[in-house]
Amino acid sequence: MAVGKSIIRKEAWDKVTGRAKYTNDFKEQGMLHAKLVTSPYAHARIISIETHEALAAPGVRAVLTGKGLPLTGEDMRDRPPIAADKVRYYGEVVAVVVADTLVQAEQAARLIRIVYEPLPAVGSPREALKEGAPLLHEELDRYERNKTTYPEPGTNIAHRTKIRKGDIKQGFAESDVIIETSVSFAPSDHVAMETRCATAEIWPDGSIHISASSQSPFMIKRLIHTYFGEEAGKIVVHTPLVGGAYGGKAPVQLELLAYLATKAVGGRKVSVWNNRECDMVTSPVHIGLEATVKIGATKDGVFKAMEIVFLFDGGAYSDKAIDVSRAAAVDCTGPYHVEHVWCDSLCVYTNRPYATPFRSFGHCEQSFAVERAIDELAKVLQLDPWDVRRKNAIRPGHTTPTQVRLTKSNVGDMPACLDRLRELMRWDEWQRIELDAYTVRAKGISGGWKTSTIDTDSSSGVILTFNSDGSVNVISGVVEIGTGTKTVLAQIVAERLKMNVDDVHVKMDIDTQTTPEHWKTVASRGTFMAGRAALAAANDAIRQLKEIAACVLRVTPDDLEVGFGRVFLRDDPAIFIPVKDIAYGYKFPNGNAIGGQVIGRGHYILRRLTPLDPETGAGKPGPEWGVCAEGVEVEFNRRDYTYRIVKAYAVIDAGKVLNPKAALGQAMGAMSMGLSFASREGFLFDEAQRVLNPQLRTYRPIHFGEHPTYIVEFIETPQIDAPYGARGIGEHGLLGMPAALANALSLAAGVPLNELPLVPELIWRKQKGDSYGSL
Amino acid sequence: MVPFEFAYYRPQSIAEAVAMFIELEQKGKRPLYYGGGTEIITLSRLGLVSTAAVIDMKAIPECRVLDADSDPLVLGAALSLTELVEANPFPLLTKAAKEVADRTARNQITLGGNLCGQIFYRETALALLVAEADIVIAGPNGVRQSRINDLFHQHLQLSRGEFVVQIKVRRFAVELPHFHHKRRKQGEIGYPLVTIAALKKDETIHAAFSGVCPFPFRSAKVEAHLNDRRRPATERIQAAVNAFPRPILHDIEGSADYRLFVAAQLLEDALRELGETI
Repeated sequence: MAVGKSIIRKEAWDKVTGRAKYTNDFKEQGMLHAKLVTSPYAHARIISIETHEALAAPGVRAVLTGKGLPLTGEDMRDRPPIAADKVRYYGEVVAVVVADTLVQAEQAARLIRIVYEPLPAVGSPREALKEGAPLLHEELDRYERNKTTYPEPGTNIAHRTKIRKGDIKQGFAESDVIIETSVSFAPSDHVAMETRCATAEIWPDGSIHISASSQSPFMIKRLIHTYFGEEAGKIVVHTPLVGGAYGGKAPVQLELLAYLATKAVGGRKVSVWNNRECDMVTSPVHIGLEATVKIGATKDGVFKAMEIVFLFDGGAYSDKAIDVSRAAAVDCTGPYHVEHVWCDSLCVYTNRPYATPFRSFGHCEQSFAVERAIDELAKVLQLDPWDVRRKNAIRPGHTTPTQVRLTKSNVGDMPACLDRLRELMRWDEWQRIELDAYTVRAKGISGGWKTSTIDTDSSSGVILTFNSDGSVNVISGVVEIGTGTKTVLAQIVAERLKMNVDDVHVKMDIDTQTTPEHWKTVASRGTFMAGRAALAAANDAIRQLKEIAACVLRVTPDDLEVGFGRVFLRDDPAIFIPVKDIAYGYKFPNGNAIGGQVIGRGHYILRRLTPLDPETGAGKPGPEWGVCAEGVEVEFNRRDYTYRIVKAYAVIDAGKVLNPKAALGQAMGAMSMGLSFASREGFLFDEAQRVLNPQLRTYRPIHFGEHPTYIVEFIETPQIDAPYGARGIGEHGLLGMPAALANALSLAAGVPLNELPLVPELIWRKQKGDSYGSL
Repeated sequence: MVPFEFAYYRPQSIAEAVAMFIELEQKGKRPLYYGGGTEIITLSRLGLVSTAAVIDMKAIPECRVLDADSDPLVLGAALSLTELVEANPFPLLTKAAKEVADRTARNQITLGGNLCGQIFYRETALALLVAEADIVIAGPNGVRQSRINDLFHQHLQLSRGEFVVQIKVRRFAVELPHFHHKRRKQGEIGYPLVTIAALKKDETIHAAFSGVCPFPFRSAKVEAHLNDRRRPATERIQAAVNAFPRPILHDIEGSADYRLFVAAQLLEDALRELGETI
């Protein structure tokens, strides 16, 4: 009825008319404003902070500094919410000024005098791992951390994930050819349209009210409880619509500052709102990477062994970067069967903005490394790069790098994705053609896969209530970050209740006091987890409706069906009672009543997940692996090194497409992000590790008019335990884009291109044989 | 957010604007003439511009003139780049204007603002330099007109309190064969690695550059090499590139040697398009 149709998203009208409200749109009289004072150094000791002049400035209510604050961090508590003794990245918060107006706060912020003693700054992960490199965290051994985080004190290694599957020595011994490829890219930004924002206030009853532009409202509640010892029941987090998140709003940062600020001003409401520059460098960034991939294969191109080193640039603090480095390790080989795997994935401290997930959670990064290496292997073996991928494509019966056995349900159909991509791209017709003396067209491809390395006890809850006309309200903890998930939940509920989706209303906002928890709106898990919870809630409501109807109709509930706004007898639908007449209990003609209001309740918790074994990585990190095959066609000018991305292709195994237009939008949006990241984004640092382009003037994502034609198709291999078989698709469009673009351009230019972003100057330098990256 | 308070004035005439400027200057308000405001607003946010008063030029009739049929054609300094692009009175200038910033910003950015901006690319100046346009300037000493080439050395040499009223381009210059190209680090939006505007008048090539140096320029030495037809084109181009003023920009948009590589190629394109034998 509703599933499989392109239902217009429920918040569409609010958005297209400009009426939709985001966190910073809720202004209130008397609300105070905070200005973040940030560090101009990437690494420096704080000698003194003089705040008297700022405190005396007009309108100023408080100035916060880092003294005496607890350390924070999700896997390991290494980050003060405000820098205390030293700063570890350019843009780190050193003080927070709270004033009546934002202008007053900004003016006072300029009056704070901070004396720094600059320290040598550590740039890339390789630099950070060198003997004698300055240490960012001298007290690494003393940080509180969870059981699955393994820092290496005395080094800049925050965490190491080890994958040991099979026998790597044997794998290489059985190989006819061994190739090695290294890739790298610097940290970059998510560039969500809405910059991050948080407000906080403490009411006279002691309850703490936070509003946040966040993917993790429930985590904010939990962390404020953990860090500051506030009673969990007194913390209420509100999240309205979020204007793009892409992983960047999964970590908890400004919320802590808003909480500290409101405490400093007697509980008055304080708004902490990032300007674009702060949003780009002060708040967590898209992780950077240096990686080396060694592949051993037979002369026919069958993979025998992969040895992979990922050095993730976690930046100054480990927070979510640990998790990202682990996620890349878990799926380190890409969607290919490899018997012998050795991978070390390190989360490395550097004096760069601290990192957090970026749509695909370490997987477009992982793909870039491995898929570049596969193309290099194909070149050495003089094999077709498509054939090599097809030959090694992962299938049910194979095991993943963490030794999970794959089934028909828990992995998508990788061979089918590759086969369809080959047809769509007309791969066999040509892969490189010269149109004239300078113009070359070339195609590049990449595979992609992803599971969600999320907490093993992550759960989601849904509540359904009824209105007096029989329509339904869906209340779920999934944040509407632009993915349309709430509309898909409405479709799932409408399908199950056999009713019109227009009669299923969704509550867009999250209020952690009244909305059942959804762990975090991340990892493409909204439809799966909240969808399961929604189905359970619908089943629960159906059971209750049938019970009441059974009484009224004097039948057993087993003979009843719910649908079309009625509860009716399965074998004689003419005998029925409207849902609206029983959803609030049934009143007999004589006034007696039975039943009571129907409240559907459902939840879902991930099952049988385990942490990884610290020595081998063996374990079950996520519920299923979604797969895709993607490609890019470029037109490259050999004279001036410019290029145009002509077409971008994605074939994604969606399990089941629940909302075709929404799915297409997710895939295309993700592809666009991947191409933008790969072709033009990335922070540029000077030698002191200051970010040189923290502005949209100089950091320029893809614009309208610069897009290629997007060609997207879905394969449908159901995940048996998912709602209607649907797999997550929010991220897959991105997975293969960086690698496919690099593979196409490497073929076009005739030189391996293993760095991002792929700007013409990089290609020029590589072809000249120069190194690049001095700027 | 602009972190300081400022007064906004909107004079209706040249005389009123100048008088206001003098008065505000005397009061220590460090006034700024205000066209589209894109630069004042964005640089104020960053603490790179500060003022207590802005004087908006957009209500001064002379600054809003767009006379495309006269000779010379007259372009008011307060016309937005979008207006110039849409009216297209001077195709070479249109090509330059169309490549500045993005459409939303061009709706705001004015011709005068782009010529006088702090952000040093000032790409509309290139078209005016090669066309040898005249520039009408108003200030405390009245209104004067000069050849832009006499006034533009890296930036427009204006005295305190002076502002650009109009640009006048002689009709013959509008119709000359020309070339314009802007090459960026990547894509179609952003600052130039190199922008070249060139035209050919009486067999002589005029060429002006932005992005090569931290200022736009037109150089007699460079043009002498470009027009030295005794030598093959590749040598002329190499000599012209060698004669570029210094320093060559070396920054986050691109390295110096890459900019010179791009400049040489664009010069080759320019010569070819202007009918030179390559």
